[in-house]
Amino acid sequence: MAGDGYPASILSQQLLVGVAEELKLPLLQIARQLELAQLNGSTNLATVQATAQTALQLLDNYVLGVRLALEPQHFPLEAVSVSSVLYDASQQLDAFAKSYGVSLELNIAGKYGPVLANKQGLQAALVSVGAALIEAIPALEGNQQLKLHLATHRSRYGIIAGVYADTKKLSNEALQKGRRLQGRSRQPLLNLSQSNGAGIFVADAILHAMDLHLMASRHHRLHGLGTVLQSNHQLQLV
Amino acid sequence: MNKVLLIEPDRVLAEVYKRAIEADGLTEVISVTGAQTAIMAADQRKPDLVILELQLIEHSGLEFLYEFRSYPEWQSIPVLVQTMVPFAEFNDNWHLLRGELGVRAYMYKPSTSLRQLLSSIKEHSLVTQ
Repeated sequence: MAGDGYPASILSQQLLVGVAEELKLPLLQIARQLELAQLNGSTNLATVQATAQTALQLLDNYVLGVRLALEPQHFPLEAVSVSSVLYDASQQLDAFAKSYGVSLELNIAGKYGPVLANKQGLQAALVSVGAALIEAIPALEGNQQLKLHLATHRSRYGIIAGVYADTKKLSNEALQKGRRLQGRSRQPLLNLSQSNGAGIFVADAILHAMDLHLMASRHHRLHGLGTVLQSNHQLQLV
Repeated sequence: MNKVLLIEPDRVLAEVYKRAIEADGLTEVISVTGAQTAIMAADQRKPDLVILELQLIEHSGLEFLYEFRSYPEWQSIPVLVQTMVPFAEFNDNWHLLRGELGVRAYMYKPSTSLRQLLSSIKEHSLVTQ
């Protein structure tokens, strides 16, 4: 893990400002939904709850990213089942996805064996990216399929775990440009998100603190963001 | 029936605004998430008023406005900007938005209640009648 020094990506004021800006949206959604209830006498409580829960998750994940960078000794690498992490992430995202009319699909078929990661950190990163994409998918023009896939597959670099959608707008170029613009632009991921995409940068920071990298990836015909994980060979020999 | 073209990228907020605006039974909301679909919707549905978020994916609200106002038949349709962008950030461009692009009102989304939005729609719909 990135234990020496404090990675600028995590402690940067830009990321904190990004998270604060990002939290305006769920708070605004809750405020307007409650106002609508006062005006019309009806509101969707499930949506309000999912919105609040996801906002809390973003805060938790930001704090986890900071702690991973500052106290890596408390977050050891361990043998982790990718399938299990993706399943748990999909459970965490389920209600939020429903509120955006996005259906979740889990593609975890195949035997991958354990990988080396910190389970809490990996799951938080996948949930952060997933929530950001759930918000973005309905707003992408020409995107007919409101579906987010949480998937894993084997590549020549290792085992990739990520979140995928039917859009070509998830590319390494877009991600790199976003990293450069983070904190300087209101929309660093212009082709992907109407907000500042804090969830993606929080995931980026969490993975960075675990010596992993967020990157563009493909799963069959789908495009997405994921990370390469290394198999835990030691455990497989046991 | 009045037709309002709502250009709002967030699906949850769009649904809330749509329900609030349509509650009077006299207004129909055409809700779209981006600039391109907004132009197509304007062409097909002939809205009486537009509510616009400036922060959209890919093409910005400003790009939409330039395109929208380039058609003679849409030049007098009232456009209300309701956005997450604070006024201070485009203060210098306000004369452009108001003067050249005919924006009738600016509303900072986080501090604009549904009542204020409905009141603004009513005010600017009346202006054109």
